[in-house]
Amino acid sequence: MDKRFIREMEEILGRESVLARHEDLLMYEYDGSVEQARPECVVFPRTTEDVVKIVKAAARYNVPLVGRGAGTGLSGGALAREGGLMLVFSRMNRIMEIDYENQRAVVQPGVVNLDLTRAVEHAGLYFAPDPSSQKACTIGGNVAENAGGPHTLAYGVTTNHVTELELVLPDGDVVRVGGRTAETPGYDLTGLLVGSEGTLAIVTEITVKLSRLPEAVKTLLAVYETVDDATETVVEITARAITPAACEMLDGWTLRAVEEFVHAGFPMDSAAVLLIEVEGLREAVEWQAEQVSAVCREHHAREVRVAKDDRERELLWKGRKNAFGAVGRLSPSYYVQDGVIPRTKLPATLRRIDEIGKKYGFQIGNIFHAGDGNLHPIILFDQRDPEQFERAVNAANEIMQWCIDQGGVLTGEHGVGMEKNELMPLLFSADDLDLMRRVRAAFNPSGRLNPGKVFPFGKGCGEVRVRPLPVSSASPV
Amino acid sequence: MSTRPTSFVERLEKLASASSVATDAATLEACAVDGARPTAVVRPGSAEEVAVVVRFAAAEKLAVIPMGGRTKLGIGMPPRRYDIALDMSRMNRVLAYDPGDLTLGVEAGIGVEKLLEVLAEEKQFLPLLVPWMERATIGGVVAANSVSPLRYAYGGPRDFVLGMEFVTGEGKLCKSGGRVVKNVTGYDLHKLLIGSLGTLGVITRVNFKTFPLPPAQQTFVTSYTNAEEAMALVQAIAKSPLSPRLVEVVEPGAAKIIASEKLPTGLWSVVVAAAGNERVVERHGAELARMAEESRASEFQALTDAEKRLLLGRVREFLQHLMVMHPAATIFRINALPTAMAGLVERLREIALRNQLASCAVVRAGGMVYFAVWPEAGSEGDSLRRACEEIFAAAEGEGAQAVIELCPAELKREVNVWGATRGDFELMQRMKRVFDPGEVFAPGRFVSGI
Repeated sequence: MDKRFIREMEEILGRESVLARHEDLLMYEYDGSVEQARPECVVFPRTTEDVVKIVKAAARYNVPLVGRGAGTGLSGGALAREGGLMLVFSRMNRIMEIDYENQRAVVQPGVVNLDLTRAVEHAGLYFAPDPSSQKACTIGGNVAENAGGPHTLAYGVTTNHVTELELVLPDGDVVRVGGRTAETPGYDLTGLLVGSEGTLAIVTEITVKLSRLPEAVKTLLAVYETVDDATETVVEITARAITPAACEMLDGWTLRAVEEFVHAGFPMDSAAVLLIEVEGLREAVEWQAEQVSAVCREHHAREVRVAKDDRERELLWKGRKNAFGAVGRLSPSYYVQDGVIPRTKLPATLRRIDEIGKKYGFQIGNIFHAGDGNLHPIILFDQRDPEQFERAVNAANEIMQWCIDQGGVLTGEHGVGMEKNELMPLLFSADDLDLMRRVRAAFNPSGRLNPGKVFPFGKGCGEVRVRPLPVSSASPV
Repeated sequence: MSTRPTSFVERLEKLASASSVATDAATLEACAVDGARPTAVVRPGSAEEVAVVVRFAAAEKLAVIPMGGRTKLGIGMPPRRYDIALDMSRMNRVLAYDPGDLTLGVEAGIGVEKLLEVLAEEKQFLPLLVPWMERATIGGVVAANSVSPLRYAYGGPRDFVLGMEFVTGEGKLCKSGGRVVKNVTGYDLHKLLIGSLGTLGVITRVNFKTFPLPPAQQTFVTSYTNAEEAMALVQAIAKSPLSPRLVEVVEPGAAKIIASEKLPTGLWSVVVAAAGNERVVERHGAELARMAEESRASEFQALTDAEKRLLLGRVREFLQHLMVMHPAATIFRINALPTAMAGLVERLREIALRNQLASCAVVRAGGMVYFAVWPEAGSEGDSLRRACEEIFAAAEGEGAQAVIELCPAELKREVNVWGATRGDFELMQRMKRVFDPGEVFAPGRFVSGI
């Protein structure tokens, strides 16, 4: 990298906001994936004006740019695949405005997801998207990846909660898209930008909707002797049109790993549990809880436990949200997938994953958002053994192909990034990808913004050239 | 409208099956947009046929306007060119419906009413209580981003469309999104097509998530003497734990048009529909009654099922009733923040009065108002244009977003129905150039001359 560029960065931001020494850059070469890609310079802007100056200088020096929040992403979205400059938004972490009456907040991209909820919950409000990493991940990252979480089953993913964005385009122009109101004239650019994985523009301000905290919450834990009974329960809950706020499944192997780590109170000897939450008006919650319990029992749940207080409820969720950390204690490496299938296909899919695990000789754990069919199979392997690595990737691809054959998709909430970009032709035609590429070029003509992400390098021939990369136990999720 | 020689029709007939091309005067007139008639109307039977017609149009530099039930042709600016109407009504099949997954895929030309009947058999629905229900198609409702009163609880199409297939201006059949309820694979291009008025692509298939019909429902009407009190109730509901599926505020002028005996004359009525199990509905009734009493409402009514059906049907068709009674009405669609709404509506009424125009208003889901004005005997010739300018300015002053959804074609010569230029219009033009570089689709009809 041109030394003069780094000096310009220091002039714009001050030396304390620019990192360019090898040892300082090392910690920015990872995110939630084991893929490594080291930026050549890391900067910490504080304002939109800072970002504009940085982006304009980068344009002059033809430097690639990638934005980063907390680095908790699971698809390599916030890695500097082609080196260049990384903009870390941890100092752009101010909540600019809270409009309690209209249930809106305006935030900088570096605001931590849970911090926004903490700031507004005294008024009975919260920010609904709740990825497992919500204590660390930033709203800017949530916007880039269109993040989900357990409660998106009832409340929708990030895109359903964002109304307006301030963008800095790769030439340094600042544009606001959308508005404070629910809709604005013209095309829904906000809808396009959310989930575009930092490949279209750099987001410097976000207007989000705040949701009202429910009057009542009930959390149920249903315990099963077989995985099939648990998945059949999920199918039946969906078919009976009971809409829980969350419906998570942990299989026996995973819940034992979690229990040993978190002591959440999961039964060690069961084959699977469902963690189901119902929320809303007291009367609705009671009724839904009864319905859910009945379905669980009909499908041979050996026990349906209702969390008796907030403490017990929080413990169950702590178990769920720290699951990946628990798995990390047991295996040198693991590979988390994010496929989505129609919910009716859950029982067959879990059986298929089990077969694939046996075929390739891996333990595959399952902990996932069962209610919306968003799987997270975890393949445990030792990355130090190249032969195992190869097998793990093959097993993963076989699971992914199965998901797509069921009418599903590659990723439900983790993003395509540099992990699944070569798999895109499994789902999209050359024309589909070409149109998406041209949309990218309309925003990001030089391709300097987050290069090497989302799109396959192959020219749409449908051939999978580069294999996806496993996610390490270093994952902070 | 077109000055082009009609000989393209012969080539088009060879391309599409001749039976699907119409050129008779009545059919052409039925597809007229702001007085402009196409030269031919094509009724494709498949997405591939749509692509063939669009490729033909692109090659011949012809302009195409896609349409379904033709209930929204008055929206937007007059097209600069218009040669072929693409009538999507033959593409009316349910392609995939899996009630157990609560997902659905349909062709764009399917009628909303028919689709809701199919869903009702499985005790499900889509939250699309849209006007001109008996004619409106899914493609049209999505392309115009029609506003359903159920937006209060379920959001708009952007919140429940899972994916789409569409034909671009180059005649390529593309897709985005998928058929599952959660998906971040690739760009959400379909979000751009929602509300695009057919200017980016011809929507050929839409995938939705469906919703279970609530086991019990009841509708309540609380009436007040002024807007402020009515909007205060809307705000109070928003802050309460209640979760109604619909909250509409009907201003006295709109009450006359909706013409339901349940909307008391001269009052502002707040229509609230509760849904859920019996006890949830009862709770809504009890709390709304209490709120009504505490806010000194003039009247509070709990409707029977039959009364509810009648009232909600007429509320749904408010725009249609309005256009029947006042064909010269200019109807604004204005999004505003809930706290700004009462003041905004009062200002809009003053503007109408000052310009000697009649007016009415319906506030939907607390954040969106249909405000209509029309000339009365004695109105000055220029008053409508003046009022429109003042309404746009008033909306802007309140941080609201206004467009004119429907108005007499003549007004469009003087007023841009899309309002003032926004900072993001240039990016929208870039999107247009990506999707439709040859300006095949309805050139000039959308924002910013798109």
